Amino acid sequence: MSSRKQPKGKIRPPKKPNSADAQFNDNWDRLAQAIREIHKKNASILSFEELYRNAYNMVLHKNGDKLYNGVREVITQHLEEVAVSQVVPAFPLSGASSSQTNPNGAGGANFLKVLKTVWEDHTTCMLMIRDILMYMDRVYAKTANVPLVYDLGLDLFRDTIVRSQNYPIQNHLLEVLLQQIKLERENEIIDRTNVKASIDMLLELTDASTKDTVYATDFENKFLETSSEYYRVEGQMLVGEYDAPEYMKKVDKRLNEEEQRVRHYLSQTTEPKIRNIVEEELISKHLKTVIEMENSGLIPMLRNEKMDDLGRMYKLFGRVVKGHDEMKSAISDYIRELGKAINETVTSNTTAEGGNAASGDKQTGATVAVRWVQEVLDLKDKFDKVQNLALSNDKAFQTSFNEAFEYFINKNSKSPEFISLFIDDNLKKGLKGKTEEEVDSVLDKTITLFRFIGEKDVFERYYKQHLAKRLLLGRSVSDDAERGMIGKLKVECGYQFTTKLEGMFNDMRISSDTMTDFKEYLDKSVLEKPKLDLSVTVLTSTFWPMNLSASPRCNLPPELTKACGTFQNFYLGRHSGRRLTWQSNMGTADIRGSFKARKHELNVSTYQMVILLMFNDKQDGESLSYEQIKGESDIPEADLKRNLQSLACAKYKILVKEPKGKEINPGDQFNFNNDFTAPLQRIKIQTVASKVESEGERKETREKVEEARKHQTEAAIVRIMKDRKTMEHNLLIAEVVKQLQSRFMPNPALIKKRIEALIEREYLERATGDRRVYNYLA
Amino acid sequence: FFTSLSKDFSVLLDHSDDYNVIIRVGDEKNEKTFQAHSVILRARSPYFKRALSNDWARKEDGSTVFTKPNVSPAVFEIILKYIYSGTIDLNNQDPSHILELLIASDELLLQELFNHVQDYLL
Repeated sequence: MSSRKQPKGKIRPPKKPNSADAQFNDNWDRLAQAIREIHKKNASILSFEELYRNAYNMVLHKNGDKLYNGVREVITQHLEEVAVSQVVPAFPLSGASSSQTNPNGAGGANFLKVLKTVWEDHTTCMLMIRDILMYMDRVYAKTANVPLVYDLGLDLFRDTIVRSQNYPIQNHLLEVLLQQIKLERENEIIDRTNVKASIDMLLELTDASTKDTVYATDFENKFLETSSEYYRVEGQMLVGEYDAPEYMKKVDKRLNEEEQRVRHYLSQTTEPKIRNIVEEELISKHLKTVIEMENSGLIPMLRNEKMDDLGRMYKLFGRVVKGHDEMKSAISDYIRELGKAINETVTSNTTAEGGNAASGDKQTGATVAVRWVQEVLDLKDKFDKVQNLALSNDKAFQTSFNEAFEYFINKNSKSPEFISLFIDDNLKKGLKGKTEEEVDSVLDKTITLFRFIGEKDVFERYYKQHLAKRLLLGRSVSDDAERGMIGKLKVECGYQFTTKLEGMFNDMRISSDTMTDFKEYLDKSVLEKPKLDLSVTVLTSTFWPMNLSASPRCNLPPELTKACGTFQNFYLGRHSGRRLTWQSNMGTADIRGSFKARKHELNVSTYQMVILLMFNDKQDGESLSYEQIKGESDIPEADLKRNLQSLACAKYKILVKEPKGKEINPGDQFNFNNDFTAPLQRIKIQTVASKVESEGERKETREKVEEARKHQTEAAIVRIMKDRKTMEHNLLIAEVVKQLQSRFMPNPALIKKRIEALIEREYLERATGDRRVYNYLA
Repeated sequence: FFTSLSKDFSVLLDHSDDYNVIIRVGDEKNEKTFQAHSVILRARSPYFKRALSNDWARKEDGSTVFTKPNVSPAVFEIILKYIYSGTIDLNNQDPSHILELLIASDELLLQELFNHVQDYLL
């Protein structure tokens, strides 16, 4: 049936209401004719009031279904015509899928343009048809449970045009859309408005069975599949052709483009899906390859501090599940590797120097330690910078970096000693070139390394030793800096950790007060004044790291012995019940020596003083043998050798040794060097400075630490058991570990041994019946 | 404030210098022309919203002319008054008008009015 058969725009005489059917037919003819006029864009000749009234009357006279079906038929017919006359002729040339050539693209674009017009015409017409059939929509469609007429129009368009059974419109549409997108991906300019119109059309149409949009059912899956394939190929191509930074830039660009594409002409619901595809194909699948790219991957980026590239990698890889994990582990491995290298240079240095370690080259040991710490700090700085500039200070990365640092720092068994030496170096040198603020910031950084140390008790022991030397030899830059450092340690490890250190400071302070009092005491007293100025530092034996229980052997000169006696009387008079032991191995003395050229004031250790005083009784040129000195002074052999070395083999040769050489051997002869000259009036004879310990000392320190650990472990066990009264073995071990781990990692075997020791001493007992449970014995 | 709103709108219906819709109501024997405002009609009635839209409005001398032959002027007056002021007085009406009003309010999709008249009749 064609519209031409109908008489057009004819006004009929009013019908007699003799037959309802005739009335209906008459009304319907007019309406159908009107709809055709609307389709022909002739609506301006139509009267809304009349058409509405016609439809209203039909519905009122129970002819709603006839009306509805009639409308459906007219619209369907129209759309069939449109398909044949407009859509099919616009089909792009066959082979639209081979999108190489532009004509295809143009043909496709034209097809979309035609569809756009067809769709716009249809919707415009449907709006007008809806207007005149408003009564039908309100009254009939509702009760008959059929779609409103506008929706009916959409469904008809879907079935007659978009999913036409007669013409392959759907295939062409989908192919053209995908082709246009592909062209755009390949940097061709396409007319987005046409694409968008078709997409919007698909979005407005609903799939009857799924109630989803036709966009979702017909287009989206195909689009995603094609994209997946496209990016799979592209990913393989890019990874082969570009280096890591370029690759990531490309990926970044792609992600951006796809996001833009969705925003401009696809549905927002597609955004996460296409993003996932690009992320999967371009990032997930090539994670390792990109990270490991030889001259441009993650490690080279770190090496060359390519913060922008690293930042880009962080952002990109963060989009996929494994991305950050892979980055983290690669960086951590790299840190471990660098750390290992630092450790190795140090060990190779120390072993290389092992041979001449005793040869008075005292600085080297400390230098190695300082260099190690400095290198670790530099490494830390570097990765802090990476963390800050490229990784958005990501906590997870920080944790993983920290673990890597912890790992290699603890691989170096000397790290507690090194760190303490480094602090020692800074607190001693401070004034030489660095301001106090600079020292402070260095120490702050050092604390971060300290945090990584597992064996904090070992550090504590070294720190005490170094601090003791600094305090007693007056080597500290400033009290403030020392106290600042202790403050920092306190923040890290708590009060317990630093009480002894603070006790050492206290001793120093009290001693200086005591000395003031002692001078007053001497001024007032009738006693004979000592011939020398005596300055005594009284140390509380439990605070200080040295063994202070007994005086080392040494025959002091009588003047000194006498002065010591005077002080002892003074001190014990004020503090009864205390015991003083003299630590002559730690003292220093200022003595005046007359040489041929001039007089010099020598600052020497007590032992050196004792040695030098022996030469007072000797004639010029008269020599003393090693054995003589040893016998007369009674200084322990190791100390004696070291002090003789300082006097005879170091920078200032106060004594001349025969035969010459760097080592002190039994049978050596020593002469007072009358010809000694030096530019300065006041000369400090370097005593052995703090340095990396020798193997023997290390072993000793180790043993002391082990011993201390035994006590600490027992103390922890008793503390816990006293509180709980009874406890199962594993729980007890866990609790002990928890309490001690801030200082060191106790191993379960050690704890077990201590438990057994405590059982032996009847602090604990095994529960009767269950041997795995312990009871506390009050 | 609704009372004064309603009163002011009634005045607007009777005395206005900016009418832009002319409505011819009734058949040849009994035709009457009303003047009204497109914006008010369209706001108050979905029927007029469509009828007076750009797609359908027929203009003569700047005013939209609308013809409604199947409603009598008396009834349309009640409808216009209802549309403008939201008020209606059924008690002083000819009973035949009331029935016609019911039918017209259904055609013109004045649901509220239709319900009211229906309740009144029951």
